[in-house]
Amino acid sequence: NNRRTVKAPTERPGELRQAEMKRLYGDGAPKILAMETAVQLSFDKHCDRKHPKYWPVIPLKF
Amino acid sequence: EAPGSQECPVGQQSQESREQRARAALRERYLRSLLAMVGRQVRFTLHEGVHVTAHFGATDLDVANFYVSQLQTPIGIQAEALLRCSDIISYTFEP
Amino acid sequence: MSEWTKKSPLELEDYVYKEVRVIASEKKEYRGWLLTTDPVSANIVLVNFLEDGSLSVTGIMGHAVQTVEIVGEGDHRVREKLTPLFMSGDCAAYSP
Repeated sequence: NNRRTVKAPTERPGELRQAEMKRLYGDGAPKILAMETAVQLSFDKHCDRKHPKYWPVIPLKF
Repeated sequence: EAPGSQECPVGQQSQESREQRARAALRERYLRSLLAMVGRQVRFTLHEGVHVTAHFGATDLDVANFYVSQLQTPIGIQAEALLRCSDIISYTFEP
Repeated sequence: MSEWTKKSPLELEDYVYKEVRVIASEKKEYRGWLLTTDPVSANIVLVNFLEDGSLSVTGIMGHAVQTVEIVGEGDHRVREKLTPLFMSGDCAAYSP
């Protein structure tokens, strides 16, 4: 049973996110979610391909 | 609180939806401004008086990192780099 | 962090299309027409109209913003120039 409670929520983050988006953006939520997903996908694609390194190596400000 | 401003459910709802509409409009315009920056030459002003220019590529969802290429740093060019948003004060580009 | 990051979307909307002066970290100062403020990061996007008719867009990170002051009310001409900015193209790609 314990194991199930750990394993089961595989779909929950998406649902939680949708609910959160709905709360924040109301009827605009699907559009914002679609735009955010596109922005994030583009970022992931670049990083997977190019493996950029941070510049500067050490943060200027924390 | 203003006296006599008794909130009825309808009033609350419209307040909430007004807020949601404002948030969505602001966010959409911001995301579109990021998309308009893709491929452009961008000048970044970083903390500690550091200035760099680069071609903007992408940013992550929480806008915590900027992926750029051809980053011109004070010590040379880095082909690909990630800039931390926390290091940045401002950025400028011509759309 | 400043008061700016705590503003509600409706408060942030009051600054849209206004001419503002932004004071940021390390005594940086920016002026321009405010196009939007990201409600997530509090990043501000300013637009300046250049002499040659082109535009300059400046983003100021929310964490670096110290004060934002309205110095001019936008008229309908400014609004007409700012409203369509970035809104054309790619619309279809992001519609659900």
